[in-house]
Amino acid sequence: MSEQQRADRLERVVARLLRGKRIPARKLNREDADAVMTAARLAAARESYPRPSAGFRRRMAAHLEAAPEQGLLTRRSALVAGLGIAAGSVAGFEVERLLGRLQPPPVAQTAVQPKPGRWVAVAALHELPEGEGVRVEAGAVPAYLFRSGDRVSAVSAICSHLPCSLRWKSDTGVLLCPCHNAAFTRDGAPTSQAYPLPNLPTVQVRVVDGRVEVLGA
Amino acid sequence: MEERPRSVVELPVAGPSATEIALDELERVYGFLFVRVGNRADAEDLAQQVAMRSIPRLRAGASPASIRAYMFATARTVLASFWSARLGMPEEELPEDVAAGPGDSTGDAESMERANRILAALPQNYRRVLELRFLRGYSLKEVAAEMKLNVGNVKVMQLRALRAAARVGWDV
Repeated sequence: MSEQQRADRLERVVARLLRGKRIPARKLNREDADAVMTAARLAAARESYPRPSAGFRRRMAAHLEAAPEQGLLTRRSALVAGLGIAAGSVAGFEVERLLGRLQPPPVAQTAVQPKPGRWVAVAALHELPEGEGVRVEAGAVPAYLFRSGDRVSAVSAICSHLPCSLRWKSDTGVLLCPCHNAAFTRDGAPTSQAYPLPNLPTVQVRVVDGRVEVLGA
Repeated sequence: MEERPRSVVELPVAGPSATEIALDELERVYGFLFVRVGNRADAEDLAQQVAMRSIPRLRAGASPASIRAYMFATARTVLASFWSARLGMPEEELPEDVAAGPGDSTGDAESMERANRILAALPQNYRRVLELRFLRGYSLKEVAAEMKLNVGNVKVMQLRALRAAARVGWDV
């Protein structure tokens, strides 16, 4: 591509910016990408005190108020449920990811180990539908149960990224996190390869005389 | 079910104060994002992403300082993803100063001053084309008339000037 063609392409981006339009998606080389980011900074300099539009605060208030409260847990309850992530580490995770220093999180699956643990009867085996996720709570340990014949498996019902309760989506067969765009299979494996997340911890479950018991706390 | 699931977890409800704190911080986050993406629509979208990611932190009863730190850390991540997607570059190839500058709104009003400092470091022709175009709002034709060049030459000069300004960097 000639310099004139590059100049024409950049001008199209600049013209949009100066009209207050969004930055268009373009695949650029490093030098031209730097030029676009610089153009954005210069365009912004025209506004001394950037403030969001009048409706922005109202819309954000509505979003914050309407957040799925039942899906959100305290840090303590997330820890009780065996989630190996402290709320305080999330910001650090994001920052390190930005700096490109973070290795992909470990994907080895851990198991919830409540201490002291106790077996809690949560359902009768014949009540569990085949292949469908059923949410139960064994004391402070929320879990999703999946029956396959006479066998039952269980994974934690809390997202391994943010401390949010997962929801079973029977149409797609995944556990969906309502707080952000993440989903897990019934085995606890994250569905997105692009954004590596730890597996959901497994939860210990057993069947005794037709009763399904989960190791809770 | 023989035994109903029992909830022993007291689910927290955000008090108005947590929401209010978050909304005030979001306006600052918006300013932080706006000075880096240069347009309202993208800045508001990105600020909304920051808000969505911050909800769990608000519910957990974090302190205002912690909410602010979390939101700005998240804003930097969101910004890096944004540029990576729009420019077709892996995040690790983005310039280090993609989110450089003050971590809160206190520096936003300085963006004009910062722009002037960068322009001052450029050769006169480059500085002139960028001043006219970006800071005074001239059209391409008006810049061409002012600088006695044809429009094609102005575009090439604008390209070279923006590349040169990028090399000066915003972390000045």
